[in-house]
Amino acid sequence: MPEKKGAHRSRGNGGDASGCSYRLLDSAPSSRTIQLGHIQPQAPGHRTVFCNDREANYIAKYLGNAVSTTKYNLLTFLPKGLYEQFRRVANLYFLAISCLSFTPVSPVSPVTNVIPLSIVLFVSLIKEAFEDWKRLQNDTTINNSPVDLLQDKRWESVPWKMLEVGDIIRVKQDGFFPADLLFLATTNPDGVCYTETANLDGETNLKIRKALEKTWDYVTPEKASEFKGEIQCEKPNNSLYTFTGNLVLQKQTLSLGPNQILLRGCSLRNTEYIVGAVIFTGHETKVMMNSMNVPSKRSMLERKLDKVIATLFGVLLTLCLIGAIGSAIFVDVRYYYLQLLIDVESQQFNPRNRIMVFFLSIFTLITLYSPIIPISLYVSIEMIKFIQSTKFINNDLRMYHTETNTPALARTSNLNEELGQVEFIFSDKTGTLTRNLMEFFKCSVGGETYGTGITEIEMEVAKENGTNSEEVQNPSSINRDKGFNFDDARLMCGAWRNEPNPDMCKEFFRCLAICHTVLPEGEETPSKLRYQAASPDEAALVTAAKNFGFFFYRRTPTMVYVRESHVEKMGKVQDVSYEILNVLEFNSTRKRQSVVCRYKDGRLVLYCKGADSVIYERLGGGNDEIKKITRVHMEQYGEAGLRTLCLAYRDLSHDMYESWNEKFIQAKSSLRDREKKLDEVSELIEKDLNLIGCTAIEDKLQEGVPSCIETLSKAGIKIWVLTGDKLETAINIAYACKLINNDMKQFIISSETDEIREVENRGDQVEIAQFIRETVKTELQKYHGEAQKILNGPSRQKLALLIDGKCLMYALDPTLRSMLLSLSLNCSSVVCCRVSPLQKAQVTRLVRKGANKITLSIGDGANDVGMIQAANIGVGISGLEGMQAVMASDFAIAQFRFLTDLLLVHGRWSYLRLCKVVSYFFYKNLTFTLTQFWFTFHTGFSGQRFYDDWCQSLYNVIFTALPVVIVGLLDKDVSVEQSKKYPQLYKEGVNNTFFNWKVVGTLAFFSVYQSIVVFNFAVISSTSGLTPSGLMLGHWDVSTLAFTCLVITVNLRLLMMCSTVTRWHNISIGGSVLLWFIFIFIYAIVFIDKGTFFTIYVLMSTICFYLMVILLPTVALLGDFIYEGFQRWLFPYDYQIVQEIHRHDPDPVCPGLLDIGNQQSPEDERRYAFAMLPKEKSKHTGFAFDSPGYESFFASQQGVGTPQRAWDVVRRASMKPQPREQ
Amino acid sequence: MSSTPSAAAAADSLRRNSKRPKYSRFTQQELPACKPILTPRWVISAFLLVTIVFVPIGLASLFASRDVVEIVDRYDADCAPSGSTRDKVRYIQSIADKTCNRTLTVPKHMKQPIYVYYQLDNFYQNHRRYVKSRSDQQLRSQSHENDTGSCKPEDNANEMSIVPCGLVAWSMFNDTYSFFTNNSQQLPVNKSGISWKSDRDHKFGKDVFPKNFQNGTLIGGAHLNKSIPLSLQEDLIVWMRTAALPTFRKLYGRIEVDLQAGDVINVIMQNNYNTYSFNGKKKLVLSTTSWLGGKNNFIGIAYLAVGGLCFLLAMTFTIIYMVKPRRLGDPSYLSWNRNPGGH
Repeated sequence: MPEKKGAHRSRGNGGDASGCSYRLLDSAPSSRTIQLGHIQPQAPGHRTVFCNDREANYIAKYLGNAVSTTKYNLLTFLPKGLYEQFRRVANLYFLAISCLSFTPVSPVSPVTNVIPLSIVLFVSLIKEAFEDWKRLQNDTTINNSPVDLLQDKRWESVPWKMLEVGDIIRVKQDGFFPADLLFLATTNPDGVCYTETANLDGETNLKIRKALEKTWDYVTPEKASEFKGEIQCEKPNNSLYTFTGNLVLQKQTLSLGPNQILLRGCSLRNTEYIVGAVIFTGHETKVMMNSMNVPSKRSMLERKLDKVIATLFGVLLTLCLIGAIGSAIFVDVRYYYLQLLIDVESQQFNPRNRIMVFFLSIFTLITLYSPIIPISLYVSIEMIKFIQSTKFINNDLRMYHTETNTPALARTSNLNEELGQVEFIFSDKTGTLTRNLMEFFKCSVGGETYGTGITEIEMEVAKENGTNSEEVQNPSSINRDKGFNFDDARLMCGAWRNEPNPDMCKEFFRCLAICHTVLPEGEETPSKLRYQAASPDEAALVTAAKNFGFFFYRRTPTMVYVRESHVEKMGKVQDVSYEILNVLEFNSTRKRQSVVCRYKDGRLVLYCKGADSVIYERLGGGNDEIKKITRVHMEQYGEAGLRTLCLAYRDLSHDMYESWNEKFIQAKSSLRDREKKLDEVSELIEKDLNLIGCTAIEDKLQEGVPSCIETLSKAGIKIWVLTGDKLETAINIAYACKLINNDMKQFIISSETDEIREVENRGDQVEIAQFIRETVKTELQKYHGEAQKILNGPSRQKLALLIDGKCLMYALDPTLRSMLLSLSLNCSSVVCCRVSPLQKAQVTRLVRKGANKITLSIGDGANDVGMIQAANIGVGISGLEGMQAVMASDFAIAQFRFLTDLLLVHGRWSYLRLCKVVSYFFYKNLTFTLTQFWFTFHTGFSGQRFYDDWCQSLYNVIFTALPVVIVGLLDKDVSVEQSKKYPQLYKEGVNNTFFNWKVVGTLAFFSVYQSIVVFNFAVISSTSGLTPSGLMLGHWDVSTLAFTCLVITVNLRLLMMCSTVTRWHNISIGGSVLLWFIFIFIYAIVFIDKGTFFTIYVLMSTICFYLMVILLPTVALLGDFIYEGFQRWLFPYDYQIVQEIHRHDPDPVCPGLLDIGNQQSPEDERRYAFAMLPKEKSKHTGFAFDSPGYESFFASQQGVGTPQRAWDVVRRASMKPQPREQ
Repeated sequence: MSSTPSAAAAADSLRRNSKRPKYSRFTQQELPACKPILTPRWVISAFLLVTIVFVPIGLASLFASRDVVEIVDRYDADCAPSGSTRDKVRYIQSIADKTCNRTLTVPKHMKQPIYVYYQLDNFYQNHRRYVKSRSDQQLRSQSHENDTGSCKPEDNANEMSIVPCGLVAWSMFNDTYSFFTNNSQQLPVNKSGISWKSDRDHKFGKDVFPKNFQNGTLIGGAHLNKSIPLSLQEDLIVWMRTAALPTFRKLYGRIEVDLQAGDVINVIMQNNYNTYSFNGKKKLVLSTTSWLGGKNNFIGIAYLAVGGLCFLLAMTFTIIYMVKPRRLGDPSYLSWNRNPGGH
């Protein structure tokens, strides 16, 4: 059955009508993201591989198996690195300025500009080199992982990189395939192996691969070395799901398909080892062909920065223009002492050529005012971000996951502050929100609820209601099976016999043990046996039965064997066999599954399990009390985020069964509409059921997910779940994660409606497309209208949108896109199910581009790669085997819940810090430049510099550089705990409160004010002698005074901006001022020919100097102080209020606490919690039977040499059922 | 108990394999810090502190400045024939005798030393072309006599290097003043020590003598005595320390005699320097000094003003805090509490 996942892939070809809409989206110029399943046209031709024959393959010069993801190598580093640097407009600008400063028009010497630029470039290049070095190390690790290579009839362990095309290798269980392999042989008897492709497509269910029968024997090294096959196959390409080729073996040509191919990146499961031949290596493997250069992302702040810099450039030009006009007007022969008529430097001051004066003055002034654009800004930001990510994010103990031994990892340092502005999170489900681990958690039997566990959601509710987390009973350390997390003494160890309704319990357990399609595997003891189930739900149910004393241990095509304990008598164990007469399989329309079985004593029973809605419809009369109570229980479970299934049975009479079975066999063997007919026949027998009870399975969420999601949504972040699962599963999880609750208005756009199905059955592709498009359009319009009504109404009801992949495809159509966008932007949560990796990326891009919001994608599998790269920030879940998502991501964390720390703490701080850093840079450079500008007015617009060359060039890189870096690293407004306690603070970042034009404007205003104060006050001191000895101060004395005051002012201003002041703040700020004095003390002695010679000593010998040094910064900073005083009192920011609330809190320094907090397992946490189930009625009951792999598991293996389905009743039906005497 | 050490060892090796980040206050961002919050109390205290510090300093400075006696006399207009600028320029460029007599009255008792300044106006000593046009190497030592590259256009005259070269030296001020009391007794003007000692000792060489100076076609200003080394030519040294603004004073000399209130001083000056071309004023200034320097009310006023302003601000803030009180750390001011439900 080509289920939807497969269908999406084929659409990637762009072959059918629907593909067009994809291509339209894809052709957006910026779509550089990897698109899995998007097949590039193949070059014609083929490759021939000679197995076990390196010489023969040598001629073809195939690529080695080493992979490299580095940007540079030794040779290209300098040119490429410099090119990268000069792609930054600011650097290019400074290069131009540096060149200009070599010309005579420059008022400053070249050092002024060249030195800072060189420092900046040097630091940036070092950073690049370091990052590339880390990539290289990563590659080296991968390239050096060992694999067994066949050499001289032995398996030799060699690194991956040594592999060559044609090599025969062995991969052991759980190992990764080092290259694309031709599957030759396996230890499994039937020539199959199981692979997990989670790395490629995110699907965690196992795929079966089957070797050609001819090659089955080549398992041992001796035999394998005799293998001399010749493989002719297609050229390397990026299509993951196709392969064509031939194997020429002993002059026989055998055709090869995808089933014989094991792809790099997948891992081997349930198989001891396999032997394969390497066909594609290194960068030619399909997975590598699918990956591409990681697009470098720039943060919003940086883009905003560009605009501000452009504005500054505009300001610069204006200043230059004013100066140049002034200069052209000023020049006049009457200033005879300037001898303007004599040409000294290229007509610059020739009064007879004022136009020339004007133009040359522009260049002069540009070089003079160039510091208005802060040159060290970028490098400082880079340094800050780099340290933030390597020292803070990577080392945060709060984001260290003990179980998987994984710390957080910032893979890029470009986006730290972007983490503080995220507005949308796109999350994958499986592996990200959930652990893909189903656990039997609770059940209700005969109107009695069992199971004492408390789900995370209940804990949250309890916490919210303020219920004290009393220590409820402690289930101690029972060694539980995977998939069984149930605890209630009333049912365990046969205790159920004492329950009010032991017969019902028995039916319940038997139903669990019999009604399923699970295959047991391994030794037939409860501890060793493993269940192979299509969905983890089923495995959990069977495991539960086992734990209740109904151990299902063997299945034959006709029988199910169950080892039952305590049934007749406590402690008695007996093996019972049940004959399985029919299996009515699950599908998404039926939403139920039934088994007809015959007891040893001839009793005929139909056991059925399914969604409550379908089971309740089919219940017989009576037992209303149980139905009612069970319903209540199910609602409770649903509210608690559990997935429920109803169990029911029906005793069948022999005659009735026989007559039905006839019809069933008929239906089963019909050639047309078999599915439909089977469904109809099933209806006939699945009725008048007796309700046994229900089960509740916990789709185990990752730890802390609901509370994390809640915190994040309080922070104003909207969370979208994009999943390949079915609608029901997705809704389930959304409920479990508290993304959706029953108070929300839910808009569901699904293609699983009867109308659409009807049209689909007719099979006309064009009609289907048109019909779905129309449906989607009308639904969208309807919902859009409703949404507007609700939003404008008083109810403040929250909205949720649920849409499935097929509808989404049409909704993403350019004509409907905007409506989808505006509808979904109004929704507080959106769930997209059944979406392909490509659609995930498209949705992400839609919001990112369409709404121009900052998006974050989080996922764990390769199917999330597109989405991760399409978002502003990609986060990968690390710590599991899959690395694809992590490799594509910008940040890797081990658990979804760490997002709170990553966003609310690191992101928020980074944003705040960088805002401070950036605004401070603007402030200090603008102030500096403006003092120059005011001076220009007093120099006849000649462009004379006010400050000494070296002072000017070191201003940015020494005297004001370090403190701002310290602030960028250490400043924190509120503590970690408070950041998480008040998630709303995050909104300040989302709204970009700290770096908008208003902030920049305020800064500019105070800059102008301060520059006026500093310049004029300093200059006034020169008008009359300031020394008791009557000596006058000259130009350089005044400029030294002004510069001193400026350095002090600017550094103190930074101190005023700090929220916290550590020792390092004091040291760096004090140090910067001190550094200036040290510098000038030395400089003023050493360089006799400079104007600044001895100035500082002259100045410091006067009292006036000290008065000025006190007066100037005070007056200059008075404005800011008043502003901040008023602002804080009258219009406080949220963080300021929080600071005030917690002003007496001690510093939360307690390293010990962290250790405990981190190692708390969910069980420990559960121990503390106490549940108070909400009393309100829930409309939602989770329905457990729809896990992703359920249908596709076997479907995907059709034609792959499907192992015999033990319960395949078609086969059985042809055998005459043995009538038994009752 | 033997299991304990091995368990510890196991735990130890586990720790070694662990990628668990090491704890440090820096990486966990828990450095001890003080968290200053700008509470009203702080704001008002800061303002009051400034007031307390600044007002006395301001008063002291004002008093110091008030003690300084300053006589300013603008003479450029009176010492040249009235008429158009052109007439004045022609006069100043002529070789006629430019002696000019001025009479100054001492308003208050002036304690010696009395500093004599000349003040020029609209003279751009800070023009880029002017500032650049000097050679510090040449001024410093004889061996750099020919380092005149930066001195254009006054680098060479008659194909010889000019010492001191450059526009600055070339345009040196050359008015001279002699002071006489009422009874024609000359008040000696001490011209030594009027320049910065550092300039004399380091910037101007003892072995550098003026050479080929003012020998060009154009004569800018003063001539220099060729037999006196530059380090002793204090007028030049003073002139060469270029001023920051186009209006500047430069020290001419010291009168080391007390002058009594009401004394009349006759000044006989040579009005040589051409400021008429560019409409520059010339002033003669006699001034005493205090511990703070010359007459300068600015610092005192500024200090007083800031002190006063801060006092006013402290009052304003107090009033605001009383009119619009806000409990410190009141959660109801949090934005999400102010308009619940909205975002």
